[in-house]
Amino acid sequence: MPTVTYKGKTYEVDEDGFLQDPEVWDENFAHYVKDSEGISELTDEHWKVINYLQDYYKKNGIAPMVRIMTKVTGFKLKKIYELFPSGPGKGACKMAGLAKPTGCV
Amino acid sequence: MADRITDIGPPKYDEMWPQYIKDNYGKWKYHEILEPGVLKHVTEDGFELFTVRCGGTRLMTTLHLEDICKIADQYCDGCFRFTTRNNIEFMVTDTEKLEALKKALDDNGNLPKGGTGACVTNIVHTQGWVHCHTPAIDASGPVKAVMDDLFEYWNSHKLPAQVRISLACCLNMCGAVHCSDIAILGVHRKPPVIEHSHLDKICEIPTAIASCPTAAIKPAKVDDYKSVQVNAERCMFCGNCYTMCPSMPLADAEGDGIALWVGGKVSNSRTMPMFSKLAVPYIPNEPPRWDTTVKTIRTILEAYANGANRYERMGEWINRIGWERFFEVTELEFTEHHIDDYRLAVTTWRNSTQFKF
Repeated sequence: MPTVTYKGKTYEVDEDGFLQDPEVWDENFAHYVKDSEGISELTDEHWKVINYLQDYYKKNGIAPMVRIMTKVTGFKLKKIYELFPSGPGKGACKMAGLAKPTGCV
Repeated sequence: MADRITDIGPPKYDEMWPQYIKDNYGKWKYHEILEPGVLKHVTEDGFELFTVRCGGTRLMTTLHLEDICKIADQYCDGCFRFTTRNNIEFMVTDTEKLEALKKALDDNGNLPKGGTGACVTNIVHTQGWVHCHTPAIDASGPVKAVMDDLFEYWNSHKLPAQVRISLACCLNMCGAVHCSDIAILGVHRKPPVIEHSHLDKICEIPTAIASCPTAAIKPAKVDDYKSVQVNAERCMFCGNCYTMCPSMPLADAEGDGIALWVGGKVSNSRTMPMFSKLAVPYIPNEPPRWDTTVKTIRTILEAYANGANRYERMGEWINRIGWERFFEVTELEFTEHHIDDYRLAVTTWRNSTQFKF
């Protein structure tokens, strides 16, 4: 498995850059991902989404459906894409340290 | 995100039509099949269009595409099209060009004419070992082996009706296996192997549990790891859980193989569309030529060709003679695997005394 080192900390990731162990996640990792996702700065709105994803994942063991995420955060899908250009899966979930989305994506 | 272009969709469908298609759009009066692989369409005004259909391998290189483009440039004003079964069609407007085009295709050698009328046309198939991560069999390999064997039916019209063969390398059934005259389907025969040590880290356990059609998966603590348990007695090896959870692989060289299904169709002509039904539950994987599969498909096809009436599709033939007679004439073995045991199974059993000995 490849690893990435950012600001002195090493993370184990897969070939798509998803964190291998959600428990290792810290804010530093989100900052690392933002560079490869084309985001210049993490705003409060970014953190609102990231924190919500983390909370939901801890509570339910799955990533929320898009409709649930948009309903709770109040951000329409269009807004989510403005915040995370790669979208809620490849962008936001990766940044929040969640497991890589599966299925016929 | 600078200069990013998005949401422009595909080019408009008529953008690449040759002028004579644009001119005659919606005016077609009738068509006929001149010979295997060659069609003629005629408009109300008497305009004639000739189409030559060639087999495509579906998985093709840019060099092969370049070949196709060259022929299209030379004979067809730079236009050609792909069919819904991944064949290639070249179109010309006069018989002189038609003869030249046919000769060019014969000379090319990689573009066999055929696939029209009561034939075995191209096999709709999937990714197999070329690109997918859930297959039980290969796609391109068996397709090549089967089409090699049935080539005589590709460029002839000697069957009672068209026979659609499809292949899917797992029972996600990408493509048309569930509704084809003959279907080749990749199946597993062993439950998934569970990688407990990292399952919880890269899988969403609730998703894996919910993916099981027979509820064989339940959450479990194994060696202090949060993981899942699979009840092998309930598992029917569909592989859905592996699709959702990378820590539950089930591909197995000895376990995996091919199931053959027959009698499906999508058209509404004469009878309703039908699902294909199980004919052979398991044939081992035999790369690179899949001999047993190829032989069994030929057996089924020949029994159909000998037994069916004109215009009768595979499913219609079987429904007419009855399934017990189908197994008799094809000499396929009927086993307990053929008897449906999933939820609505009871509707597939025989509630009648009508039966042939």
